[in-house]
Amino acid sequence: MSDRFDSFFGQALAILFALGLGALVILTVDESPMRVLVTLLNGAFGSPERIAGTLLQTTPILICGIAACISFRAGLFNIGIEGQLFMGGFWATWVGFSFNLPPALHLLLAMAAAVFAGMAWIAIPAFFRARYKTNEVVSTILANYVAILITSYLTINWFKRSGGQSETPPIFESAYLPELFSFSRLNWGLIIGLALALAVHFFFTRTSRGYAISEMGANPKFAEYGGIDIKKQTFLVLIASGAVGGMAGGVEALGVHHRFMEGFAPGFGFDGVIAALLANGNPIGTIFTALFFGALRSGSLLLEVDTTASREIITVIQALIILAVSAQITIRRKASDSTAGERRWKF
Amino acid sequence: MSRWSRRLVALCGASVLALASQAALAKDVSVAAISGYFSQGFGVAIVEGLKKAEADLGVKVKLVDTGNRALDYEEQFNNLAKGGEYDIVFVMGWELVDALQKTAEAYPNTKFVFIDGVLDSKHVVYANFAQNEGSFLAGALAGLMAEKGSEIDGLGDGKAIGFVGGRDIPVIRDFMVGYEQGAKAAAPDVRLDAVFAGTFDDPAKGSELTMALYGQGSDIVYNVAGPTGEGVLQASAAAGKYSIGVDVNQCNVAPGHVMASMLKNANVAVYDLVKDVVDGKTLEPGSVHTANVKTGGVELLLCPDVADKIPADVKAKLEELKADIASGKIKVATTTQ
Repeated sequence: MSDRFDSFFGQALAILFALGLGALVILTVDESPMRVLVTLLNGAFGSPERIAGTLLQTTPILICGIAACISFRAGLFNIGIEGQLFMGGFWATWVGFSFNLPPALHLLLAMAAAVFAGMAWIAIPAFFRARYKTNEVVSTILANYVAILITSYLTINWFKRSGGQSETPPIFESAYLPELFSFSRLNWGLIIGLALALAVHFFFTRTSRGYAISEMGANPKFAEYGGIDIKKQTFLVLIASGAVGGMAGGVEALGVHHRFMEGFAPGFGFDGVIAALLANGNPIGTIFTALFFGALRSGSLLLEVDTTASREIITVIQALIILAVSAQITIRRKASDSTAGERRWKF
Repeated sequence: MSRWSRRLVALCGASVLALASQAALAKDVSVAAISGYFSQGFGVAIVEGLKKAEADLGVKVKLVDTGNRALDYEEQFNNLAKGGEYDIVFVMGWELVDALQKTAEAYPNTKFVFIDGVLDSKHVVYANFAQNEGSFLAGALAGLMAEKGSEIDGLGDGKAIGFVGGRDIPVIRDFMVGYEQGAKAAAPDVRLDAVFAGTFDDPAKGSELTMALYGQGSDIVYNVAGPTGEGVLQASAAAGKYSIGVDVNQCNVAPGHVMASMLKNANVAVYDLVKDVVDGKTLEPGSVHTANVKTGGVELLLCPDVADKIPADVKAKLEELKADIASGKIKVATTTQ
């Protein structure tokens, strides 16, 4: 318990430290940090529309974060969520505009296409990781670029609608993921994300399979000795992570944009990874870190309009948070961890 | 409250009043521009035009960088329009069209101006460019030069000029008819070979098509093909022939081989629209404001490193044609209206 408290306290301290540094950066562009903070809060929570806007930004970060959590728990690093998201988004859209089906069925099929596309996109890195121990960090990162370029190629050269926009035709309304309120594009994707977080948390804490995978993440040698088929579990965990990554794309395509375009949802995959890292790979914690990043993102949109500070200041603050948190994790690990042996990552 | 402080307050009040009346004289216009491209090509020109308006007309200018996340656009437009503090909002970039149309409908008091394109929405004001007029001058230059033939270094006696379009769509045809008309007007004997690449994103294809055009006797090729057109310009350097740039100053893509660039001066177009509003004119929603040769919004720039190869009589003829277009003596055909 005290370990968990320490970890929470450490993260909070790291974030505060990063925000302090961020304030210094804001001072260098002749803007008051206090005003930036107030504008950020106003932009993120200032009205029901803005709160919904924050949750809208939170949704993809949360779902990508859950995808990351799944792999982190098994001691694996799926950094290819971005690519899985683009693939999922594209193929969900494709089902959405290519077929005309009854409402619920159409939505389900489009979502299934997103999930399947995500799984297919991680299958190759997952196979090589499981079979030959190829470093999945490198292979999944590289697959991102391929996914982004392939989807953009398909959009522009095969499925482009008429007019100046580089985008596909809109999907049929039968494939829409319904919106939650009339005043915002916030949709059922948020509920899906929250349900996923709870389900993954339940899986890792209350099922024997989940326990086995966590054990594998903590100490693969010991897990193998205990009778766990490491290769099979590695493959399956990565596929599951890819499926959720694909689903993130499906939610964005079917819930928000209702089409696929160039620059569909850049960066959400990486934001998700960071949110999961900040939460120590805990899905419930990821809900809060995703909300934190969603609020930063959403607030920054007003920041750009109402102050002289650039929206990019948020990217700087985010990077500072990553630095501070990883430094903090390293320090904590060095201090406490002489017994970990084979552990790759500690969560 | 002491007498002094009361006097001070009165003084402040008076100066605030004075300031307010001065501001009213300066027409108190606020302008915003929203785009993801302020650092490149067309976007740089827009910023330039707005800075000029800020300096000359005393308007307030706000630039909003959209970044590249589609999820953000709608909130950014809402944040801009909600306060109602901006009279005109310039919008550049086709990816913003969806958010633009929604917001323009929801906030009729803010004038949204879409730059370089016309959409179906009746709630948006459009700033368009008479690309046909600029292309007319490009065609005239190419025709006159082809007529000179081998008198000029790098040209043959094919008496033909080329055109490489991106896709065969009305906007690109608009460039083409202007180019053709200009060539015919200036040099009736010169033949035009026009091809479409079928794509805007394939420089290799642009290069290949251009080589084929050179093979058929054209020595000057006009590109209207976005990134595909980069291949056209590079081919002119590789073949030692000539090409003509489009939209922005492309003289440096293949120095010595790009003969001219047909410029769409977004800075002029933006400045003129802001000036109209400062002068008290209303921009009617749905109206199309076309920047043309007359306003200086469209022009043919002779590339400096090639300009001395262009004979004086050609330059004189171009000036004459330009004056005729500006005065309305020459009507250039169009395919977009």
